[in-house]
Amino acid sequence: MASTRLRIELCGRLAEACGREVDLDLPEAGLPVAALMVALGDAYPALGDALSRGRIRACVNEAIVPSATVVRPGDEVALFPPVSGG
Amino acid sequence: MTSHVELAEAGFDPAARLAAFTASLDGEGAVVSFTGHARGAAKDGRPVAALVLESYRGVTLASMQSIAADAHARFNITRSHVVHRCGAIRPGEAIVFVATASAHRRAAFEAADYLMDRLKTEAVFWKREDGPDGSRWIEPTEADQADLARWTAKQD
Repeated sequence: MASTRLRIELCGRLAEACGREVDLDLPEAGLPVAALMVALGDAYPALGDALSRGRIRACVNEAIVPSATVVRPGDEVALFPPVSGG
Repeated sequence: MTSHVELAEAGFDPAARLAAFTASLDGEGAVVSFTGHARGAAKDGRPVAALVLESYRGVTLASMQSIAADAHARFNITRSHVVHRCGAIRPGEAIVFVATASAHRRAAFEAADYLMDRLKTEAVFWKREDGPDGSRWIEPTEADQADLARWTAKQD
């Protein structure tokens, strides 16, 4: 199946294991966020621990989305660990 | 209603912000403000050289604007001013400033309290303490979550 390279930005503590940005092969049809996180953990085992701790949210095109949302080629994707201001 | 929400990349003067906010009043009887400052020590006492607040594109400011809009919808305040730093903040510098105004004091007090509880737990920032012995990411504490839950309980 044809795939395309997706760049994913890792925010906060997620950037510690593999840096601020990682690339992932994404099927042309896209992948739901939940499956994308599994694929990311497979491609970057060092990230697996941080991802499996849960409470990671995906931000697609500057909107936080539910885990069922399908990420498509060309989307601007970032992963958010729990946020903390103040 | 008037609301000013700002993501500041450099230091700001909370006293000057409060003075300008107060000068902008239009007959309100109450002003409440809160400023949060970076501490020089972590909770376990280890020294902190800088607090680093990471933000993400337009999402961080949008999250702050949404919180401010909710405060205006929920409390009878006439104006608010919210400033939040990002980047590296040295001990003593202001991290966050909120000011609220209302005809009578209760709404201004409650709205400022609410704004801070939500900024601490829901504004899109990631917070790290950098010290001589390394860096540590800080996530909202149980106390922060309990503070936030007060507002959910009140609304039910």
